[in-house]
Amino acid sequence: MQTKPVAQFKNIKKRIGSKLIIDDISFEVNAGEIFGFLGPNGAGKTTTIRMLFGLISISEGEISVNGFSITDDFEKAIAGMGGIVENPEMYKYLTGYQNLVHYARMYGNLTKERIDEVVALVGLEQRIKDKVKTYSLGMRQRLGLAQAILHKPSLIVLDEPTNGLDPAGIHEFRMHLRQLAEKENVAVLVSSHLLGEMELMCDRIGIIQNGKLVDIQTVNDFLAKDEVVMRVTFTVDDVIKAKACLNKLYKDQDTIVKETSISILMDTVRIPDIVTAFVHEEIRVSGIDKETQTLEDKFLKITGGSGIA
Amino acid sequence: MRRMLNLIQNENMKIYHQMSTYIMLGLMIVVVIAGGFISTNGGPGQQATTNSDWRTELTEQNTNLQETLKGIQSQGIAVESAQIEKLIKTNNYRLEHNLPPEYGVWGFVTEFSVLVDLVSLFVIIIAAGIVAGEFNTGTIKLLLIRPIKRWKVLLSKYIAVLWFAFVALILLFVATFVVGGIFHSFNGLNQPYLGYKNGNVTEINMLWHIFINYAYACVNLLMMVTFAFMISAVFRNNTLAVGISLFLMFTGNLLVGLLSNYSWVKYILFANINLTVYTDGTPVVKGMTMTFSLMVLAVYFIVFNLISWYVFMKRDVAT
Ligand SMILES: Nc1ncnc2c1ncn2[C@@H]1O[C@H](COP(=O)(O)OP(=O)(O)OP(=O)(O)O)[C@@H](O)[C@H]1O
Ligand SMILES: [Mg+2]
Repeated sequence: MQTKPVAQFKNIKKRIGSKLIIDDISFEVNAGEIFGFLGPNGAGKTTTIRMLFGLISISEGEISVNGFSITDDFEKAIAGMGGIVENPEMYKYLTGYQNLVHYARMYGNLTKERIDEVVALVGLEQRIKDKVKTYSLGMRQRLGLAQAILHKPSLIVLDEPTNGLDPAGIHEFRMHLRQLAEKENVAVLVSSHLLGEMELMCDRIGIIQNGKLVDIQTVNDFLAKDEVVMRVTFTVDDVIKAKACLNKLYKDQDTIVKETSISILMDTVRIPDIVTAFVHEEIRVSGIDKETQTLEDKFLKITGGSGIA
Repeated sequence: MRRMLNLIQNENMKIYHQMSTYIMLGLMIVVVIAGGFISTNGGPGQQATTNSDWRTELTEQNTNLQETLKGIQSQGIAVESAQIEKLIKTNNYRLEHNLPPEYGVWGFVTEFSVLVDLVSLFVIIIAAGIVAGEFNTGTIKLLLIRPIKRWKVLLSKYIAVLWFAFVALILLFVATFVVGGIFHSFNGLNQPYLGYKNGNVTEINMLWHIFINYAYACVNLLMMVTFAFMISAVFRNNTLAVGISLFLMFTGNLLVGLLSNYSWVKYILFANINLTVYTDGTPVVKGMTMTFSLMVLAVYFIVFNLISWYVFMKRDVAT
């Protein structure tokens, strides 16, 4: 796979009034990858995307797309981009088709066939001749995706795109994006606060919080399969005795005691020792569960589990 | 260039797919038809309809006018006597050249050219919505993320507004022509308009005369529409843009009247917006000329457009 950077963010800052909303963000989105932009409400995802599209000015730093600066070479940079900012707001009094024709005209050289192709791709054939005001939110998202890919951009940027899609729609949508990334080598930047979704869809994830990029990792690293410390749950016949036993071995660790089970955060290498100790105390062990950390745990751990800043 | 035409086509598509556009144009036609009814029932058309005795009528009218004129001249009121002299001379011209004073279709069209002000109102509404509307609905974002410079998008919108004004004016002309013809008559299509200049009656092509009438009224239209467009681009709020523009349009003359004692009143837009005062009336401040007014108008026009352009180019789009 190519790792040519399509979008480059270099030390981006955004000030509104005296407030620093984006604080020194740098990252790249490569061709053929889906980059997830993850952060809680108000973290600065939409603001960053607005700067990328040239909708708002950049206070400091530079954003370039395909090597063209969005500030100095707007037309060339934006020609290679497509996307949705926040909600897919379309002209409600026009039909879906007229909306697409409207955007197609702004590129000059798009054919009717291309519009039909895109309509089929997002599965809107049945309703494309209806006025947008009769569309559901999910249908508007599909139309939004259609206008984003109309001109075959090399970078697709989608701000919370699955908002309003049903599970089948989300699945289909994920497939579209994967296909665009893998087959057509398109770079995709998706923002979301839905962690599970990012986990399934993205290759790399950047976590943004309070306007700062806290961490960038590949999804695989993120879910670190070789993690050693995890929550282990033992199903036992006597939880009181088991608790006493564990407390002897791990003095400072909290245990979670339930009716038939007890769990503790521990190094998985030591599971056999615990089992031996239990057997020694005549505690019957009928099950052991290891809980892999989900992206959610990881996310909450990195962001400190705080709400909106 | 091709891209610009596409943009204008887009703006037109948006204007002509909105219900409100048709409501406005429909309303205008209703007003014209209502005007047709009123003008045949005791309106000016009724009085002036031709009868075979028009010669005796005009001669009679002239003898009466001569008497009033004598009375006025002895009191030395120059303005009124000039008006009466004009009437007498025009009547004489009609008698000499066998031109009966026919109201007819042209009378109606000329009279209802005042509806250009109604067209102005509608165009102001369109101009107010065309930029602000995109911000209100959030569609501005998807509009500005295309490989087209912002000023081109703005220009296409401005052109589309002027094009709408043109369409509405043509419609007004056609509607008044058809309604005027039906309610009065299509007779006398070739009759000239009788103008009056430096004490002489002159024949002017009727279509040209109506065109000039429209053109004078359009000065007001163009300035107010450009103003509404600016407010729309600056404040991104169509209600505000319509409100301020209409308020100024209706109170502009009042304002000029209130300030008429100050010499700088001549630099106010509304003191210059009615150019007919230079052909048929008196300017707000003595010594103002057509050239002066045209220059003041040009300055306002350029400033309005520069402000729209600058704000639209610079502003962050964060709706
Ligand atoms: N025009 C503005 N003026 C002042 N502050 C703003 C403005 N726009 C955004 N902000 C602030 O910038 C921060 C980031 O907002 P942004 O919309 O980028 O968040 P987000 O990550 O997209 O959140 P969400 O998940 O809710 O969409 C917020 O704290 C917000 O209050
Ligand atoms: Mg957002």
